Amino acid sequence: MIPTNQTIEPDDRQLVETIRGGDPGAFEVLVRRKTSKVYSLCYRIIGNAEDAKDISQLVFIKLWENLEKYDPQYAFDTWLYRMVTNVAIDFMRNKQSRDNAVNSNLRLVKTSFDAEQGVVIQRKEVESVFNAVSSCLSPKQKTIFVMNQMDDMPSSEIAKVLGCRESTVRNHLFNARKLMQQQLKKQFPEYSRLWKEQQ
Amino acid sequence: MISCNAFRANLRPGSSEPELLEHLRHCDACLDHAVGVDPDFLFRSIGGEELVPPGGVEAFTHDVMQQLHVRTTENRLAHRVLSWPRRLAVAATIAAGITGAAVVWQHEQHAFVSVPPIAAVTPKPISHMAAATSLTTKPVVETYDSKNATIVEVPSEGANDVKVVMIFDDQLPADL
Repeated sequence: MIPTNQTIEPDDRQLVETIRGGDPGAFEVLVRRKTSKVYSLCYRIIGNAEDAKDISQLVFIKLWENLEKYDPQYAFDTWLYRMVTNVAIDFMRNKQSRDNAVNSNLRLVKTSFDAEQGVVIQRKEVESVFNAVSSCLSPKQKTIFVMNQMDDMPSSEIAKVLGCRESTVRNHLFNARKLMQQQLKKQFPEYSRLWKEQQ
Repeated sequence: MISCNAFRANLRPGSSEPELLEHLRHCDACLDHAVGVDPDFLFRSIGGEELVPPGGVEAFTHDVMQQLHVRTTENRLAHRVLSWPRRLAVAATIAAGITGAAVVWQHEQHAFVSVPPIAAVTPKPISHMAAATSLTTKPVVETYDSKNATIVEVPSEGANDVKVVMIFDDQLPADL
């Protein structure tokens, strides 16, 4: 057998065991490995880069504090995602109650839009449309929608992460789509028209 | 990434094949077509890609590790304050308190014992009885006469009372 210089990266479970053994360097490796995953999910749920960064840091600190509770017979990513969704949902709930207090006296004033004018979908715009439209969703609905539609997680996996039944996840997805279509119609008739025409 | 033709030919409502989603998320030209096939592709098009926090992964990791270091140090300091000096101080205070209380209690016990107790008073009649018995052994002096003696009669209240006299005499025998 030919010896190779290639080093084998430890998997997530092995890293966790090393951290539990008292090696903080291994935790740094884990943070580096999972940063993009955690941050992406946080950003898509929260919709703000700075808040998403703060929440992601909080997730890793909680991860460090609760690492002893991780049961290696379950997938590490499922456990990590559960932590992310819990922290993000808590943040969203607090933010929603703050925003409701501020916006209770405000009304959406939108410039008139020519519904007949043609629309070419701009990818950059879709993100801001999503942020505006998804604000009508509950934190849990939004989290489920993001995990399913943007992180491509099947509903069975989402159910494991959230600790609920798969049927509950599917119900949340169905309601989220319905609510977002209504909001799209209200706030962005140009997209709504495109949607209708091509359905 | 698959070609636009292949994408458009294979895309169906609800498609979730990784190669189709990859094309959807990178090709602007096919986005309109995809939304036409299934409106859900509108928001699906902004997913997939792993994002990087502002400042980059390294800076983020550094921040996390720094925060952890601060927290760990805080916890360690908090434990240290609680462990040695405080524990010693508390132990010394408790020991001093117990010792002090024991000393005071013992002192009070001694003071209480030094006061003549009831049991110590009761022997008195016994000594009186002893004195009475010893008196009975002594000769009863019915008459006494001496030129040097001074005899004083203690006045009695009734006629039936025993007459008591006090005799002061330098030559009186010691046993009387």
